[in-house]
Amino acid sequence: MLKVLKNLVDDIGACMMFLRDMIRTGIRTPCTWEAVCVQIWKVTVQSLPTTMMAGFFVGAIMTVQFTMQIKAFGALGYLGGLATSATVREVGPLLIAFLLSGKVGAFTSAELGTMRVTEQIDAIRCLGANPLQEIILPRFLGIVISSFILLAAGLLMSIFGGLILGAFFAGINPEEYIRHIPTIVSKFSIYSGLFKCLVFAMILASVCTYKGYTATGGAKGVGRAVVSTAVMTMVGIVVSDWLTSLLSETTLVLFRGDLF
Amino acid sequence: MISFQNVRKSFGEREILKGISFDVPEGEILFILGTSGTGKSVLLKNIVGLLKPTSGAIVVDGQDVANMSEEQMFPVRRKCGMVFQHPALFDSLSIFENVAFGLRKHQPELDEEQVRERVARCLNLVQLKGVENKLPQEISYGMQKRASLARTVAVNPRILLFDEPTTGLDPVTTNAINQLIFELSRKLKTTSLVVSHDMHCALAIADRIIVLDKGHIVDQGTPDALKKSSHPLVRDFLKEALSAEGS
Repeated sequence: MLKVLKNLVDDIGACMMFLRDMIRTGIRTPCTWEAVCVQIWKVTVQSLPTTMMAGFFVGAIMTVQFTMQIKAFGALGYLGGLATSATVREVGPLLIAFLLSGKVGAFTSAELGTMRVTEQIDAIRCLGANPLQEIILPRFLGIVISSFILLAAGLLMSIFGGLILGAFFAGINPEEYIRHIPTIVSKFSIYSGLFKCLVFAMILASVCTYKGYTATGGAKGVGRAVVSTAVMTMVGIVVSDWLTSLLSETTLVLFRGDLF
Repeated sequence: MISFQNVRKSFGEREILKGISFDVPEGEILFILGTSGTGKSVLLKNIVGLLKPTSGAIVVDGQDVANMSEEQMFPVRRKCGMVFQHPALFDSLSIFENVAFGLRKHQPELDEEQVRERVARCLNLVQLKGVENKLPQEISYGMQKRASLARTVAVNPRILLFDEPTTGLDPVTTNAINQLIFELSRKLKTTSLVVSHDMHCALAIADRIIVLDKGHIVDQGTPDALKKSSHPLVRDFLKEALSAEGS
């Protein structure tokens, strides 16, 4: 148990130092926007269909769940606002993070791990280039920026999914469903969702690039890096979700004094 | 050009290099021979800072690289070209893009036409034609090794480091690669360090040979001098080389 805890602390520390080196490299010798755009394109295209489909069903699930809860209070008109608020603040960022973790996190970790064990990363260093600048930073920024694009796409689809289900399942007029979204989804909800999205994306991008970059021991080592990425990102995302929720709510109480 | 001064390297409790000292003058082709696990590759990786020695000094072109940071190493690495045991080609890039990688990085003043011309010349030098647009996995292992060599020489390094360049190759390709190492070193007037366990090839093209065993230099000299060595390991290597010649 103590050994597991020690390894975990070691991993978190090493990952933070890796992130520090990456930021330092980004400031001193930034990578090209072309390389970042290639990564944004790759990540977005890879995950867009899944995100949109998942977004649609999340909206649908929210609508079904909230319909059952608020029907008794005669507040069905607020269904769109409630479902969207929950998606913007919590479910959307979490969903994007989990989807990216499974797809992009595992892929990036395996790709970089293979580059490491086949000496491609050493070859970059020997050609007088900095691998952090050449291959890590573009991937890191690509994942972080794509997370926001995917979040937007997922949210739009969740509103669409909620709207369709709202009409068929609860008999709500689509116009009414949309009208109450701005009533409940405040600026704070949006900031909170965006902040969570940023934190989750940074955890995912740092862990998968770090684990891939430091993989050792051939094919088995690459496998270990991928598994380790999955475990670390899932745990990291869940723990940081709790922390960001706590931070958001505390900020809200301190500065606004209301619940939305 | 390169000087090892009492270099030691350990991995945990295990000491791989146990006080290695030797010099490599400019323009020399030096072969480092030894059985597997004697620290030959470790020695090479220490020159370009992929590994750091535990103690001792490694002087490359007048600079001690032993304690240099990653950033300080970049200009030193530009003087050195390393050919890895595996081809280590970037598998998401075509052969052309692989060879052009270093050029684009260090000579941004070259326009696309000049890059194309230089890549073609380097591929020609390693006798590879018509593979520019192929991905590394679409060509044979031997061709990948040659492409890797082309990528290394494209940036005009003054020092060439070869880590077991012929491992896993058939005898015909092995001979071709060895000939290529010799010709490239002479044509480009580079200093070459070749890590190998192929005494036959070392005798044919080396100016000098160093034999490593268990982290120590057990013998060194010109091919002719080494043929007279009485060290058992060197004798074993010679026996192997002579039997290869005989067959």
